[in-house]
Amino acid sequence: MSPQLSKHDPAKKWDGPTRKYDLIKEFVIALVVVGLLAISLAALFSSPDEPALTLKSWAIADAPDFVATATGELAGTTVSAGYGAPYNTAAEGQVLGPLKLQKWAGVRIPINPADDFVIAPLAIDNDPAVVSAIATWKAASADQQGKWANAYADALSKAPKATTLPDPTGAFGPVPAIATGLYGLARTGALDGLLAAGDTPLPTNFTKPLLFLADSGTYFPDYAGARHLQGDQWGVMNETGSYPGQSWLWLYSFWYQIDPFKSSGNADVLVMATMTILSLALLFMPFLPILRRVPEWIPIHRIIWRDWYRRKEE
Amino acid sequence: MNLLSIDLNHPAHYLTAGPISVSYGNLVMIGLVIVLFVVALVLPFPSHDDDERS
Repeated sequence: MSPQLSKHDPAKKWDGPTRKYDLIKEFVIALVVVGLLAISLAALFSSPDEPALTLKSWAIADAPDFVATATGELAGTTVSAGYGAPYNTAAEGQVLGPLKLQKWAGVRIPINPADDFVIAPLAIDNDPAVVSAIATWKAASADQQGKWANAYADALSKAPKATTLPDPTGAFGPVPAIATGLYGLARTGALDGLLAAGDTPLPTNFTKPLLFLADSGTYFPDYAGARHLQGDQWGVMNETGSYPGQSWLWLYSFWYQIDPFKSSGNADVLVMATMTILSLALLFMPFLPILRRVPEWIPIHRIIWRDWYRRKEE
Repeated sequence: MNLLSIDLNHPAHYLTAGPISVSYGNLVMIGLVIVLFVVALVLPFPSHDDDERS
């Protein structure tokens, strides 16, 4: 604290300028004005009306991508399969220098994409081909499962419009039948309910369906990209349609558009660290050399308190 | 009420310059915030002379 500030006795009564101020009156006026504005603007512009994306809409709109992603879940090659905490230990996750922040947070929502997104939901399927395929999958070693799933994923990647492929040599094992079974389940909408209600009596936990959807190779990223909602499109501050979005998040969003943030695998933690430093600088601005002189160079406070400064000069 | 409303559920237009990309909707809101800030600075504080002393 500067010597000047320490001279003031906090118990001493304020003897500077005062002003009568009716806080309740201002509160009521603000409430009425903002309330009328909100009702009027809602009536005039309505609200964003973008339909929710579901596993059903995905399976219907882009069946090859759905089947390829389901196969990727079995192969363990999707984003969620290799994400690390809080879902699994497959990766170290985001770090800040030597601080392994994501790993230290621990696996708090354990998810095995192959089992949780594909195998478990198919337990309700009575199709003999699917029941047999699931039994074969469960009886196989992890190594064999990986070989089947990777072989089928490779084959699908060479036939991007296919939803199923023949297997004359048996290299794919039960994977085509499992992927086709899950695709059928998704088209009916049953998969959305099964994944959302898997852990709770009510379908309120959307972690699994959202993770599965986010693993999509083309459908989900293309859908978001067309609406400028990707991270590298300032998506954090955009809204669907032509509605204004969260423009107050411009500074958070800004960092994702420039290097080294946008090309870093640790972009999220780097941006949060940068914003923390900037927020602390703002908080402690009166104590920071150079920065504390900004009000002298840009004296906006003299405009706000212009009456007082004018009288002082008189 | 639908007859009076303005439908904004259509693809937005964006102002793009280098790494900057802002939708017109956001641009309008940012402009309104700046205007409100300036107006709040410039407009006199509602008061009576006998309320104040210096």
